Amino acid sequence: MKTKTFVANGILAALYIAVSFLIQPFGFTNIQFRLSEMFNHMVVFNKRYFFGIVAGVFLTNLFFSPMVGYDLVFGVGQSVISLIITILSAKFVQNIWARMAINTAVFTFSMCLIAWELNLAFHYPFFFTWLTTAIGEFTVMAVGAPIMYAINKRLHLEDLV
Amino acid sequence: MELIIGQYVPRSSVIHRLDPRAKLIGVFLYVIIVFLANNWPTYALLAVFTASGVALSNVPLRYIVRGLKPVLFLIVFTFVLNALFTHQGPALFKFGWLELTSAGFIQAVFISIRLLVLIVATTLLTLTTTPIDITDGLEQLLSPLKKLRFPVHEFALMMAIALRFIPTLVEETEKIMKAQTARGAEFSSGSLVKRAKAIVPLLVPLFVGAFKRAEELAMAMEARGYRGDVGRTKWRLLQWQTRDTVLLASIALLTAALVFLRG
Repeated sequence: MKTKTFVANGILAALYIAVSFLIQPFGFTNIQFRLSEMFNHMVVFNKRYFFGIVAGVFLTNLFFSPMVGYDLVFGVGQSVISLIITILSAKFVQNIWARMAINTAVFTFSMCLIAWELNLAFHYPFFFTWLTTAIGEFTVMAVGAPIMYAINKRLHLEDLV
Repeated sequence: MELIIGQYVPRSSVIHRLDPRAKLIGVFLYVIIVFLANNWPTYALLAVFTASGVALSNVPLRYIVRGLKPVLFLIVFTFVLNALFTHQGPALFKFGWLELTSAGFIQAVFISIRLLVLIVATTLLTLTTTPIDITDGLEQLLSPLKKLRFPVHEFALMMAIALRFIPTLVEETEKIMKAQTARGAEFSSGSLVKRAKAIVPLLVPLFVGAFKRAEELAMAMEARGYRGDVGRTKWRLLQWQTRDTVLLASIALLTAALVFLRG
């Protein structure tokens, strides 16, 4: 891995954590949304952002989650699986909007892993938990798609790593 | 906003002196064996074991309580959910469709204890280990993955860079947010579309600044001869001690006791 690539990914991970904590504009009652999840769309522009996003999720769960052990397995696992599916599907889909739609669908569906985690650990009802967590993820990813598209238009994310 | 990463509390205790690898393995195993508890003796044993860890760490109780505050809602929510959705045994209370049974109440208490000991145990890890020790420990533990061509060294360094830059980026984010607010931007009111639009002028300078920093840092590292982990030496070496083995042995004993006592 090139020095610039992993350094940029390290700083992306820091940005993921900073944005997670400081910007919470879409929090409604007891359903909270992690805004930095919109960074998941960055793999649509360049697959090299994979490690930065995973490191961001990993560190956020390691230092700030009340359920470290579970979140490191299920939370990071959900991100890794979803990102890999998006990266693989990008080989067959060229349109950026279509890639972001696939990414949104994959992340929303894979929230079943988080619902499974909460069901195993704390006996939360599986389908209800899947529904509430999926609503949060879908909202952030859907709202995040045009935002990341606008950022890419100005910064050309595909060339930065 | 003060963001305390890892919330490390420096103290001189046996828990602080443990090798980060032992603590990481210990917490990972503990998170799994917690599932073995299913009756009062096993949950009591877990509570005593966790309390002993807190006592040995010399970390003032207020830090533990502070760690529990943000998740108080989660604990209450978990309690209520389990109490109301477990319909076994005689009813203790009934109001419309709401029913609290004796089995539901006990289940709710058990799950709440499980959540509590989990949070305290994992909080103890971050309270007694510096973030940099944790990343060093993780690098060592993940090193077998090198055989699968996973870039372990780069991943560990990436995490170290992230930890170094979190305070800088938090400060920068706050500065940009204040500057945009002064220009009339509203991040937490208005329609969803309005709020989404307000985020773009916040994220663009953040990304520009972050990637500029990355380029400068990468250049500085290469100018100083950085060549990955080839021939790289370390200032601080992790050394496995007897106390680390004792920790893992005590978790093995705890596991055996839980298996013996569970109903």
